[in-house]
Amino acid sequence: MKRRVVISGMGALSALGATTDELWTGLLANRSGVRRVQRLVESGITVTNGGEVASVSPQNVDRDHEIANRAIEDALVQSRRDAAECGFIWSTGLDTFQMGPNGFVHRSAGLCFSNLSSRFSGPRRMIAAACASGTQAIGEAFRLIQNGRVDACVAGGSSVMLTPFYLIGFAGLQAVAVDNGGDPSTACRPFDKRRKGFALADGAGAMVLETLDGARKRGATVFAEVIGFGMSQDGFDLNRPCDDGAGAELCMRRALTDANLSPEEIDAVNAHATATYSGDLAEAAALRKVFANRWPEVPVSGAKGAIGHAMAAAGVLEAIIAAHTCATGIVPPTVNLQHVDEGCELDHVIGEPRDSNAQSVLSVSFGMGGQNAAIIIKRHKEAQEIQK
Amino acid sequence: MIYLVATAQRSDLQAVRESSPEIWRQVRRYNLPVQLALAAADDVIQFSEDPSTTAVISLAPCQPGSADLYRWGHVVTAGMATGTLGNLRMNPTQTLHAVDNLALSAFAISHGNHAYCLGLGGAPGQAWCGLEAVHERLSAGAEEDVLLMAGDQDAAEDGAPGLGVALLFSVRAKSYQPLGRIVRLLSISRNNTRTADVVPHAANGLAAFLPALVEQRQGPMSYVVPPEHTDGLSGVTISLEIL
Repeated sequence: MKRRVVISGMGALSALGATTDELWTGLLANRSGVRRVQRLVESGITVTNGGEVASVSPQNVDRDHEIANRAIEDALVQSRRDAAECGFIWSTGLDTFQMGPNGFVHRSAGLCFSNLSSRFSGPRRMIAAACASGTQAIGEAFRLIQNGRVDACVAGGSSVMLTPFYLIGFAGLQAVAVDNGGDPSTACRPFDKRRKGFALADGAGAMVLETLDGARKRGATVFAEVIGFGMSQDGFDLNRPCDDGAGAELCMRRALTDANLSPEEIDAVNAHATATYSGDLAEAAALRKVFANRWPEVPVSGAKGAIGHAMAAAGVLEAIIAAHTCATGIVPPTVNLQHVDEGCELDHVIGEPRDSNAQSVLSVSFGMGGQNAAIIIKRHKEAQEIQK
Repeated sequence: MIYLVATAQRSDLQAVRESSPEIWRQVRRYNLPVQLALAAADDVIQFSEDPSTTAVISLAPCQPGSADLYRWGHVVTAGMATGTLGNLRMNPTQTLHAVDNLALSAFAISHGNHAYCLGLGGAPGQAWCGLEAVHERLSAGAEEDVLLMAGDQDAAEDGAPGLGVALLFSVRAKSYQPLGRIVRLLSISRNNTRTADVVPHAANGLAAFLPALVEQRQGPMSYVVPPEHTDGLSGVTISLEIL
C-alpha cells in the first residue's frame, strides 16, 4: 500500500526575496528580480545580469551553505519538524568558484552537502541532475516516503551561480542572455520571440514532505499533495534537447502514469522555460503532444523571467510556486513574455495572473545533458488557504 | 530477487585508448573520472538485456573537474584582479567538466538510453545511497536491469590516478563471472556509527567491495563498508548470498 505524501513546510530564497511569500507575491505582480549586478559589471565580463539573493552577502565565502540553510530552516520551522527525524534529499548544485578575502576560493558542492546533511537522520542523498536536480530531489523524497522507507524528508536544492566562472562558461555555451545595455529585468524572456537565453541566478528552495497520516497526527499544516513523479533521459546531446522534446514528453507521461492521471486531469503547467532558443521550442512541442487537442486550454507559466535560472534550486522554487497555484487556483504570469514565438504556442499566462481554479499542476525541469524530471502536485482538501 | 550480474574497473586510460578505440573516441574530450566511469560502464552494459532501457545510477566524482578547469579558475582570478575578464573565453568542454551529471548524460547519448536515471553528487558515501537506490528500483519492479557507475580521481591534477567502476544488477539470475556463481543482493543496512576518517572518493569504496566478494565462498555474506568509505555519519553493511 503506497502512502500519500504531502507538503507541510516550504522555504525559498530567490531574486524576488527571502521568503516563499515574497516569491509568490512578486510573481503575481508580474515583477522580475533580475538586475544588473555591480560586482559583475566591475569585473568586465559580458554577462552582468543575474538573479541575486540580496539577503546573503556575496562576500560571504559560506554563501552556498548560508543560502541553503536559510531555506531549510524556514521549511522546518513552518512544518514544525526536527531535522533529526527527517531524511535529506538535496542538491547543492555545482562547485562554487568565487573570490574570497584572500583570493580564489573553490568550494566543493559535496562538502557543502556533507555539512548540510549531518543533522538529518537519513537517507541523505545528494542529487546531481543539473537543472533537473531540484525536481528530482522532490520526486525521490516523494518515492522514499510513499514506499515507507522514511516518514519525512527535507527535499530541495541550492545554487550559487553568479560568479564570473559560471557566467563566462555558460556564455560560452550560448545559454545565457548577454548584457545588451537594456533593462536587465527583461534579460530572460521565456517563449518570447526576443529570447536570448536565461539569466543565471543564486537561490535555494526547500520543502518538507511527509506522510498525510503523519501530518494529520501532528496537526501540521498541509499545503498540497505530491501525487506523481517521472524521470527520463534524452540520450541525444550534451547541450541541447531533441527538437521534438521526446525526452521531456516521456518524463511527463511517466509522471502522469505514476499519479494515475490522464492529461485531461492536469489544470496547469509550471514550465521549465529557460528562454533558450532550442529549449523553449522542445518544451512547447512536448507539452502540445502530451495535452494533444487540449493544449490551447491548459495554462502554462514559467518563473525564470522573474527569478532567473537558479540551476539546482530552480525545480524546487518552481514546485513551491506550483504548490501555491494548487492552494489558490491562481496561475502566475510568465514574466517578460510578450510576443510568443512561432513554435512556442501554448496557453501562456501573460501580463497578469489568471484565476483558473487550478488544482492539479504539472511541474517540469530539464537538465543540461538531458535529464528530465516531472512531478505532479495536487490541491488537498485539508490544505491551508494561502492568501491570494 | 536482485542479482549482481557483472562488474568492471578501469584505471588505465592508455589501455582504454588501445583496447577500445570506439569508446576512446566517445570519451576523449571528457575529464578523467568521466572517461574511466564510461569505460567501466561499457564493459558491463553488454550483459544487460537492453542498454536503452537499463536504469542508470551515476555517482559524480568527489574530485570533479580537471587540471585544465582549475587552471582556468586561476585565470579568472587573475582576470578579476586586473579587470580583463571581458576578453576571456571559456572552452565549452571545460564548462561541461564542471557539470556533475556528465557521465550520466554521455552514457545515455552513447546507448540511446531514455530510462529512469539518478545522478548522485560528489559527497562522501553516496556510493551506498546508489546501491540502496538499485535495491529500491529493482525491488519495486520498476526495471529489470540497473547500472551503477562511478568515476573519480585522487586530485584534479595532471597525472593524478583515477578509477572507474561499474556494477550491473538484474532481476534475472545470471552467473557472476568472476565467481562463476549467482550472487544475490539481499539488503543494505545502516547503523549510527560516526567516523571522522572519511576519505571522499566516488569509486574507491565500490572497488574495495569487489575483491571481498570474489574471496567469498558459497553461502551468506556480510560486507561491512570500511569507515573511510562511508559518509562519516552511518555505518553500512551489505548482505549478499552466493548460490
